Amino acid sequence: MTSTTVYLLAASAVFGIGVYGLIVADHILRKLLALNMMGSAVFVFILTVAGVTPEGPDPLAQALVLTGIVIAVAATAFALALMVRMFQETGLTSLQGHDGDD
Amino acid sequence: MTMGLADLIGATLLVLGCAFYGAGTVGLLRFPDVYNRLHALTKADNQGLLLVCAGLAVLSGSWGVTALLAVIWLLGLTAAAVSAHLIARHARHGPDPGVSAEEP
Amino acid sequence: MTIGVLVDVLLALSLVGLSLQVVTGRALFRDLVLFILFGLLIALSWARLGAPDVALAEAAIGAGLTGALMLMAYRRLAAGGAADVSPARRRPLLALPVAALAGILVAIIGLSAQGVERVPDAAGTLVLQELSATGLGNPITGVLLVFRGLDTMLEMAVLLVALLGAWAVLGAAHPGRLHQVDRETPLVSALLTTVAPVTLLIATHLLLVGTDAPGGAFQAGAVLTGCGVLLVLTGTVRPRAAAGLLTKLLAIAGLAAFALIGVSALALGRAPMTLPGMWAVYLIETAMMLSIALTMTLLFARSRALGPEQR
Repeated sequence: MTSTTVYLLAASAVFGIGVYGLIVADHILRKLLALNMMGSAVFVFILTVAGVTPEGPDPLAQALVLTGIVIAVAATAFALALMVRMFQETGLTSLQGHDGDD
Repeated sequence: MTMGLADLIGATLLVLGCAFYGAGTVGLLRFPDVYNRLHALTKADNQGLLLVCAGLAVLSGSWGVTALLAVIWLLGLTAAAVSAHLIARHARHGPDPGVSAEEP
Repeated sequence: MTIGVLVDVLLALSLVGLSLQVVTGRALFRDLVLFILFGLLIALSWARLGAPDVALAEAAIGAGLTGALMLMAYRRLAAGGAADVSPARRRPLLALPVAALAGILVAIIGLSAQGVERVPDAAGTLVLQELSATGLGNPITGVLLVFRGLDTMLEMAVLLVALLGAWAVLGAAHPGRLHQVDRETPLVSALLTTVAPVTLLIATHLLLVGTDAPGGAFQAGAVLTGCGVLLVLTGTVRPRAAAGLLTKLLAIAGLAAFALIGVSALALGRAPMTLPGMWAVYLIETAMMLSIALTMTLLFARSRALGPEQR
């Protein structure tokens, strides 16, 4: 078993755990935690399947992941801003507040 | 695999540094209150960081890398000192200071 | 099994264990801290996979910055009296099977993708072959600025949109006073006077070495953001109600520098997004670094602009 396979399997497990966390979480912050972990798992996944060149992992994949990390934090920041505003307006920190039919 | 003297010294420093980190972590887990834990963390981990940086510097055998490692060590010390100070201060001014209430 | 693989297995198991802790934990604050730890371990695994650029970015942005943003949001909720920060979770019957299937699916896709033979002229290999023509030594910087410059430019656009979106939902209310580090203690001002200049130095270093070694605009921007976060937390700079011209210019600097240089290539009869030389690389990277740092600091402070304390 090579290192990339080890990390690939770990990424798969973390992705699954993230999906679980996303489903069962009530608090929006918890959902964001789960989403971010899924994102990290995907980044690891991309690098482990991209193959290697003599100078380390595929540079294209690395640049892709680098871009992805920055986009992920930007999206997270926006989501957090939305969450704080929603809390100020409604006092709620979860998405199933009103309709209660889930 | 042959090991030169520098490799041996470097590896020894690294292992020693890791031992200090281990001790600091045991202290964090086992000590009763926040002050004791901070004591274990800052004392042992700063020493561990110094040893690890020294080990890496010896292994690298380059003055440029050594200078960068020195910067890392200094920044690590600064961060540890300030954060430990702020945590202790926060704990002391908090609802449960955990020490006799004599004013500094 | 060599000792290296053993380290990898330990790291992978820690990743899985930590993510389980974060998902099933009871106390939200503790899980946030564990999430930051998770990010740091991910950064370590990048280093193990031989991707130091990504490791730097993950440690600074993925773990540090995301963690700081989340802790700040948590504190805002707590300050507003969010009662239940660790509520009982819903337990849909299908959650576990769906999650397991998702994980297994990813593993199957990944394992079969790893088995695919790498074509000799894969894009990544071509990048390494053509790199010397760009004058850059770091293939990742080469991809980001030269080969896929358009992607990076649009990424700056995404950052800008995130900032504008955050401004849009900011609300009319004056940004509430943050609970700040108390500056009574001399250590905090000592930290500011030493660390702020050092972060500038480190950011510049990362930016300059980024052309040939691990580093670049993203990592430098993240380090600079760290300085900004410090200034916000210590109350050295305070939220302002409206963004001035300088703030707006800096926020679009990365996108504008990229777009102007990219389009001016057309006027000179070259393909769009061709960079005219190394000076363009440094110019764009500097502009990107400043834009990233400003955007992230504003997002962290949840404000339209920042400025020194006004009397």
